[in-house]
Amino acid sequence: MRLTISWRTSGKLAGLLLVLAVLVLLPLVIRSPYLIHLLIMTFIGVVLGMTFSMLFSTGLITLGAAAFYAIGAYTSALLTLNAGLSFWLALPLATLMAGVIALLLGSIIVRNPGVAFVVITFIFNAVVVEAAGGLRQLGGWGGILGIPRPDPIPLPFYGPVEFITKTPYYYLMLALLLLIMLVFYALYNSRIGRAWRAIKLSPALAETLGINLYRYRLLAFVIASSAAGVAGSFYAHYFQSIIPEAFGGWTSIYIQLYSVLGGLDFYLLGPAIGAAIMTFLPEFLRVAKEIEPLITGALLVMIILFFPGGILGTLRQFPRLGPASLSARLGEIKNWLLSGRNLR
Amino acid sequence: MLVNGLAIGMLYVLIVLGMDMILRGTRILNFAHGQVYMLGAYAFYFTYLVFHLHFVLALILSGLAMLALGALSYLGVFGFVQRRFTPGTPFSYRLLMSAMASVGLMMILQQGTLLGFGTKERGIPSIFPQLLTFGSVRLPLERLFIVLISLLLCLFLYLLFFKTKLGKAMRAVSFDAEVCSLLGINTFWVYLLSFGIGCALAGIAGAIVAPVFSVSPDMGHGIITAALLVMMVGGIGSYKGALVGGLVIGLLSSFGFQFLGQLSQVLLFVFVIVFLIFRPGGILGEAHD
Repeated sequence: MRLTISWRTSGKLAGLLLVLAVLVLLPLVIRSPYLIHLLIMTFIGVVLGMTFSMLFSTGLITLGAAAFYAIGAYTSALLTLNAGLSFWLALPLATLMAGVIALLLGSIIVRNPGVAFVVITFIFNAVVVEAAGGLRQLGGWGGILGIPRPDPIPLPFYGPVEFITKTPYYYLMLALLLLIMLVFYALYNSRIGRAWRAIKLSPALAETLGINLYRYRLLAFVIASSAAGVAGSFYAHYFQSIIPEAFGGWTSIYIQLYSVLGGLDFYLLGPAIGAAIMTFLPEFLRVAKEIEPLITGALLVMIILFFPGGILGTLRQFPRLGPASLSARLGEIKNWLLSGRNLR
Repeated sequence: MLVNGLAIGMLYVLIVLGMDMILRGTRILNFAHGQVYMLGAYAFYFTYLVFHLHFVLALILSGLAMLALGALSYLGVFGFVQRRFTPGTPFSYRLLMSAMASVGLMMILQQGTLLGFGTKERGIPSIFPQLLTFGSVRLPLERLFIVLISLLLCLFLYLLFFKTKLGKAMRAVSFDAEVCSLLGINTFWVYLLSFGIGCALAGIAGAIVAPVFSVSPDMGHGIITAALLVMMVGGIGSYKGALVGGLVIGLLSSFGFQFLGQLSQVLLFVFVIVFLIFRPGGILGEAHD
């Protein structure tokens, strides 16, 4: 059997490698820690946005993505501070914790998708914040301070990588992001991903084809929540302090905005573009913190009203720009001109 | 404490009735309801304290103002969202679009209020500061007033739903909007009025609570979580369920706060989740997509 790669696929592959190369080389060019910080926040946002998109790919809508982000952050922070574990052990444990809690909660609430699911995830988020603030063991409203940095990694030929400047954090988060993207990509292109898409298109039809709605939706909920846990764990050790307010309902709304702004039908690329815009645009426009939610809210309504497909969805509606389509378009215009209709 | 719980419960009932009404009438989950409640309280503050109107008039005016706000938001935002749906639109997509539009509206209203009126808490002197004494039991009159007004509104809603033509149309539209428009019911007006009356209920809830608690831009946040909890317990889209669930949650949270303090909210949530294992659709609702 001959392996053939079509031009379109190879073009996509080349584009992907180019973006990857740019992302890897970027910290060598950019010297400003501020920009690096924004990039790191974008990566976190992309991971969180992808979790929302994954749930939406099965027809579930969550307003509680930040709850699992919080669970990851708090688990990781408490494990390193109280149990003295290293970050490298706390990260998988935090992921596991977020997954287990998602499994417990999900096994109850995934049964009734739709309005009930949105409502419960929204309440769950508020309750997690309330618990983190109300319990003294979890740091209370003041949060947890002095979370240790990740331990240095001894690299061969390079020496140990210390997590002091922002650059190592950048590469760590980039690696985590790529790992999660890879896992998600593999899932979407497997039997599981196809089942999810079938469920989203028509739950009733999918069920008649033998897809267990409950199990597939629960799987999506657990995987997405675990990914949010990874982001939370990284966040805690990157900022070295966490407060309950950082994980409130607003954060969940922002996460939702990332994937809707980018485009809901693009499970990986949509959140990436949405998160990048939502992180960089307010910073570059120097919007005051008080007005920012006002603009975000207006933006949300505008997208819903005028561009329900998001940026990528809207772009896809435009005809493809290429020599073939261009000549076809020119021919159309020529015919139209020669026919003499409408030219009076 | 019992009266306190009842008063809080009736407050939840009013808000959840409004949300249920919007949800059943227009199939939109309105997350901005807490903000409407807050704006209702502000409307009462201005009409009663700044313009010195009689409190009944102020109450009615703030209800009307919120009715107008609800109708406006339907005209400006939700109507467009709804019009794009066709019968073939997947339910998840419908839900997402309407929920997001309401979340956006929530952010705008919340931050707009914060910018317009500041973070300052405003107190309104109690309208009925008296205590009623029955033997050894003392009851604050203002809490009883909340219960009374809420009961009156519930009665009004009952009459509206079951004794008027509009109510009949509303019930029919929530059952099947397409058939209704074929039969000559003006669905647009029904949607508009459902939205308006639902918001007016939240506005009046905010107005009657304003003299008891203080008015601040944050008051919408706490209430929406509690109201959604009530909605889950009572059954989504069920009016009777809202009444039962509101009273149950109101009493539980009132007693829970007395004995457990801060954590009562968390325990209440755990309780509701455990409850949902046994009755996924709430007390009086059905589990459905």
